[in-house]
Amino acid sequence: MSKSFIKHFQWKDKLLALIVPLLLLILWQSAGPLQLVSELILTPPLTLFHTLADLVGSGELTDNIIVSLQRVVIGFLVGASSGFILGIVMGLSPFLKRTLLPLVKSVQQVPEYAWMPLLIILFSVGELPKIIFIAIGAFYPMVFNTFQGISGVPKNYHELANVYNYKNYRYLTKVIIPGALPSIFTGIRLSLGLSWMFVVGAELFGCDSGIGYMMIWGRQMFQIDLVMSGLVVIGAIGFVLNFILEIIEKRLFSWRRSFEGGIA
Amino acid sequence: MSIEKGTLEIKALSKSFIVDGNPLQILNNINIVFPAGAFISIVGSSGCGKTTLLRIMLGLETQYEGDALIDGEKIVGPGLNRGIVFQDHRLLPWLTVGENVAFGLEKLKRKEKKLIVDEHLKLVGLSGFVSAYPSQLSGGMAQRVAIARALASKPEILLMDEPLGALDALTRMYMQKELERIWLFEKISMIMVTHDVEEAIYLSDKVVIMSSRPGIIKKIIDVPLPRPRDRASSAFMQIKAEILKEFHLETEYPFAYAI
Repeated sequence: MSKSFIKHFQWKDKLLALIVPLLLLILWQSAGPLQLVSELILTPPLTLFHTLADLVGSGELTDNIIVSLQRVVIGFLVGASSGFILGIVMGLSPFLKRTLLPLVKSVQQVPEYAWMPLLIILFSVGELPKIIFIAIGAFYPMVFNTFQGISGVPKNYHELANVYNYKNYRYLTKVIIPGALPSIFTGIRLSLGLSWMFVVGAELFGCDSGIGYMMIWGRQMFQIDLVMSGLVVIGAIGFVLNFILEIIEKRLFSWRRSFEGGIA
Repeated sequence: MSIEKGTLEIKALSKSFIVDGNPLQILNNINIVFPAGAFISIVGSSGCGKTTLLRIMLGLETQYEGDALIDGEKIVGPGLNRGIVFQDHRLLPWLTVGENVAFGLEKLKRKEKKLIVDEHLKLVGLSGFVSAYPSQLSGGMAQRVAIARALASKPEILLMDEPLGALDALTRMYMQKELERIWLFEKISMIMVTHDVEEAIYLSDKVVIMSSRPGIIKKIIDVPLPRPRDRASSAFMQIKAEILKEFHLETEYPFAYAI
């Protein structure tokens, strides 16, 4: 199969993926004129586009995005790094696994949003409860995927490391972590995705900035276009974050590609 | 008394595993000397403890009675004086071929590493594949990289656990020739576990026959044939018949179908 043929195929796939969204957009735009839904409740896409342009122009949207992204980055770093460390520790030590894994698993059963009332009582409504809220969400995928990745490193590799006298730090960095990296990276992706979802949630609880706050404000002012702009922006940013991570993943795991016949 | 480097000696060695609370004897009173520079194969049906014996020589198994000595000293664990080729190539998939070959060379400088890697990839006929990934290699190529990795740390003895067992018949015969060439070039001791009698005769100075439950050495057969060996020669066939006799295969099947 030639490369151009594969490319042609992918191009066709992409086109197919666009058909349904395009039809939905047309339906959405015509919902008002067809008197299906009032334009006051369902802002048509073209109006929405103008609102978005205004928001960008006034700097309001950009400011809110930056504030939200800051929260995401801090919450993600705190939650994911602690999940990473705990995952490694539990993956390496059967004793700590038996001690900690049941606890982590049971606490995970608490729905994410159930933490919010407690966090607000403990830390009031500043930045801290929001960061912790995001960190909790980012923690779980990271701890489980890191743990699974590490305990899934084949016994064969441990034996090989033993034969070549790899110990401690060298063993961890040259054999265990690279072996677990695909799983760890899945953790990072899920973790960052959840962080972005939870930042909006965190901002719904008492806040004066961020994308979530912008939407709450829009609801209170009955500015539906503001609410819907928020939705579009959240979706778009989530998509971009995931896309960036996918590219990094492809680069990082180029060794996984199978034989393509073009190396000799 | 001085012992030539690359000599491996097993003295009165017995080993048992605990299975369901009962000790199961795997190896019983094994006595054998692997002289320096020789190519010796260990053949036996599965479960005869040949892999366990190899793991003891490698230093991965340390619980046993008796002695396992390398150059007159007790084996206490794995060491770079012994190289190993497993049945699976066991290359790390995230490292390139070159990095895999350099796996045992951590302490060397970059330049020295490169020199040794190039030299050994050339030896196994894979120059130019230094930056390929294991997923891009065929089974035979991957096993050759594994051999290069094992030899790169300059071992006195190369241990091989069914190194060609996972390859197809044609690749396997080709790799047997390659192994012989490498052995003649490196002039180190090689000890290979296999269940392919023909492979053992083709490559070895001596063939050690083990029988199972518990694993004992049943017979050691010299292979005094000139190299390269002709599998179809009558002397070759005679030795093959002699070995197969030990497995009680000579009356049940014609030779052609025995293995």
